[in-house]
Amino acid sequence: MIRIEYETQRLSLRFFLVMLVLFFFQTAFGLMLAAQHIDPTLLAGTLNFNVIRTQHLNLAIFWVLCGFIGTILFVGPLLSKRELAAPWLIKVLFYALLAVVAWNLATQVLAQRGIAGWWMGQPLLQEGLEYLEAGRIADVVILIGFAILCYVVLRTFPPPSQWNEIHWGLGLGVLALTAVWVFGMFFVERIDLQEYFRWYVVHYWVEGVWEVIHISLVGFLLVLMFKADVKSVGYAVFWGVTLVWLSGLLGNAHHYFWVGTPEFWQFWGSLFSALEPLPLVFCFWHIYLDAHQDAKPVANVPAFAFLLGSVVLEQVGAGILGFTMTFALTNVWSHGTWVTASHAHLALFGTFGMLGLSAAYYVVPIMRGIEHFDQRAGRLAFWLVFTGMLGLGFAFAIGGTVQVFVYRTLGLDWFGGDVAPAMQTAKIMVPVFGFVFAVGVCLLVFDLLTLGHRRSAVFDVPEAMATAAAHAPVRWGRRLSGWETGLWLLAMWVFGGIITLGLLSFNLDTVRQGSPVFPYMMAGIGYPGLLLVTLLFIWRFLSSLETRSRVSVPLSAAPLPSSAGVV
Amino acid sequence: MSCKPGEPCHEGVKRRRALAVLGLMAVIFLALSAASFVDSRGQVVPSTVSYAGHDAVAGKRVFQAYNCMGCHTIVGNGAYLGPDLTKLYGKVGPAWMEAFLPSAGSWPTNGAVRLQLQNKAVAADAGVDGLDAYLEKYPDAAERISRRGGHATQMPNLALSREEVGALIAFLKYTSQMDTEGWPPVPKVDGLRFPQAKPIPHAAQSTPATPASLSTGPAVPSSKVALGEELAKENGCTACHAPTKEKLVGPGWAGLYGSTVKLADNSTVVADDAYLTEKILKPDARVVAGYEAGVMPPFADILDADQVAAIVAYIRSLEGRKP
Repeated sequence: MIRIEYETQRLSLRFFLVMLVLFFFQTAFGLMLAAQHIDPTLLAGTLNFNVIRTQHLNLAIFWVLCGFIGTILFVGPLLSKRELAAPWLIKVLFYALLAVVAWNLATQVLAQRGIAGWWMGQPLLQEGLEYLEAGRIADVVILIGFAILCYVVLRTFPPPSQWNEIHWGLGLGVLALTAVWVFGMFFVERIDLQEYFRWYVVHYWVEGVWEVIHISLVGFLLVLMFKADVKSVGYAVFWGVTLVWLSGLLGNAHHYFWVGTPEFWQFWGSLFSALEPLPLVFCFWHIYLDAHQDAKPVANVPAFAFLLGSVVLEQVGAGILGFTMTFALTNVWSHGTWVTASHAHLALFGTFGMLGLSAAYYVVPIMRGIEHFDQRAGRLAFWLVFTGMLGLGFAFAIGGTVQVFVYRTLGLDWFGGDVAPAMQTAKIMVPVFGFVFAVGVCLLVFDLLTLGHRRSAVFDVPEAMATAAAHAPVRWGRRLSGWETGLWLLAMWVFGGIITLGLLSFNLDTVRQGSPVFPYMMAGIGYPGLLLVTLLFIWRFLSSLETRSRVSVPLSAAPLPSSAGVV
Repeated sequence: MSCKPGEPCHEGVKRRRALAVLGLMAVIFLALSAASFVDSRGQVVPSTVSYAGHDAVAGKRVFQAYNCMGCHTIVGNGAYLGPDLTKLYGKVGPAWMEAFLPSAGSWPTNGAVRLQLQNKAVAADAGVDGLDAYLEKYPDAAERISRRGGHATQMPNLALSREEVGALIAFLKYTSQMDTEGWPPVPKVDGLRFPQAKPIPHAAQSTPATPASLSTGPAVPSSKVALGEELAKENGCTACHAPTKEKLVGPGWAGLYGSTVKLADNSTVVADDAYLTEKILKPDARVVAGYEAGVMPPFADILDADQVAAIVAYIRSLEGRKP
């Protein structure tokens, strides 16, 4: 178990705790949205759908950023072998973050009365642009916050001549995070130009900056968890970052298909964003390699489970589901429907949310000085959150497929009368899986907030395991080979291919004449297939690691039960 | 994988090569971007679009201020609770939108759209001279009226002013004129023939689309109050006035008759037959405190004296009704 080497690492804890609180509220807002989708008159006039949705989106961004900042503050001193620069600025950053979250909660409600706070042509209070709803005042504070983060990270790091790939990834990541934000700080008259710049922020954040930070942090967490070699992880980070930027820079073109920009973007977007899954495959492969680099048991199962979930859902949600709708011929149907919400939920929560949760499970016990903790709550929470999110992705995807058919193919545009009733089953599935997800969220937030303060949390897991096991690995728990991992990945992509063909089939003449059989069939096979394979793969991966810890306990010099499992 | 510990790595060279390729990508991207916004492309810009004296740029500000994107999509981006708004103007026309936006809580009827067409600017923008021609030119408006007219929508009433409504329509006129490269795809079938289009039960007895049905159908209500109730519904009054005390856009009707109304000039008046008749025929003659002039259209050219009397009788019948 790593102990704290640098005092300023402790500053990361507060960001993780705030992250958990924001995550809880974001989930609660999500459940309210699900309820309003079933009955749009619910709370109408009091707390309109658009206000709640804004909070759902903005809190998602805020808590993911909290997770990033917390993780960066934790690994920064370890990467630099010295204390963080200017810890007082980090405290300023923390209070600025709290203030912006509270300010944004208050100002977004003004959208119900159409108050944007126009001043010199700029909306000061809120601006009603998806993901960038915050007004100019909050924008400026956020920009200052990013600048503080840049300053702290770059001042803490050694001089660039001594940087390894993780330094490069994180350093460029925080700089780009700040630079790209500026493009969302202007009122643009033309909607095509406005959407052009809005995607600078949204796309380049997610597919340029966040993914780079994600790759770097996943790399370093693997180094910490498995004592993986920094050099070989650095190699993966280098290629990951390079591929992300080479594909992602022009991949942004997939947002410029239908917003009023010219047709040629359809060529560039379809071509380059089809390459975007490549770095994700790379990252996916690396978590397999690094997790199997030593045969030692995993000390902190929840932390690793969320890290694995992050990389696998990045593959499935961002990589595969993103791929299915990245071609102009499929995107023309999926654009503006629930099909995209399926991709967005799995990709954003899966990739970035789960990374933050993984880091929290790794860091919080260390901060509180707990050698072992009862990992059962964390594991259960992981499975609830993970299956809940897969279920949400499924519900959105099926609802979206129906929506494409009814809304686009049949041209029915009465949402209350035609479209919503057709989507009713999916609309009910959303809060059902959302409830599973929310139970998991409550459990993990409670677990992490009280870890070390509860008597029961200090619990010796390896002891329980060592007594339960020591028998030969069963089939499902046998060592996961590279071939098998490749087959799982292939199965995911086969189902992804079926989904893509299903979306493509909306172009067929039979479908356009009103027969939904083909797209419904493909979606009915593709989505459940993909999500079940994902679920089974995670299960297989984790039980393989668990068996490893069981068999290796008696082998590892027969330690005292209380110290077993210490890496 | 080639970069094992102890082996030479050539990291600097690789970094420089990666940066060079990245630079090439950036050049391509910027060149494509520049080509996207040149004038010769002919894409419509909002500063050249106006509607009835309203500016599309002002409309975009209204669109953002109310966070319309938080429920609807525009050019496909936004939320999926309501329909995409990009091409709406071209489908339903300005008069339907004028009728819908101030009281978004209920769907416009024939009467409400006809009323908006009385406004010369609206009719000129629509390019028609009457309701029949309008419904022919905008069949989606006709379909909306026949299937949904008079019923509650799932959208909350927003506090849109007269000015904001006009600006929003100007903005949506701009977006509907945009070249979005064939998106959304044009349906090849008539969706109304499919089982998905079976309307929700209470909309099944919606008012028919033909304008001739206005108040002179075979089933003329026997009592004056019932006639007034029917007229209030057909002429779109109920879009803004609830039969309860609730304020939608205008005041609720329950308990209104006989009450003392405070006017904008601080004088008071009792809401009797004469006052209510005047409000229906010339609503801006005396503006009530807390309300804006010009929100309610005049009904002088639409309703005859008997019809106004019937509506007043209906309002009177709501006098003692509890909310």
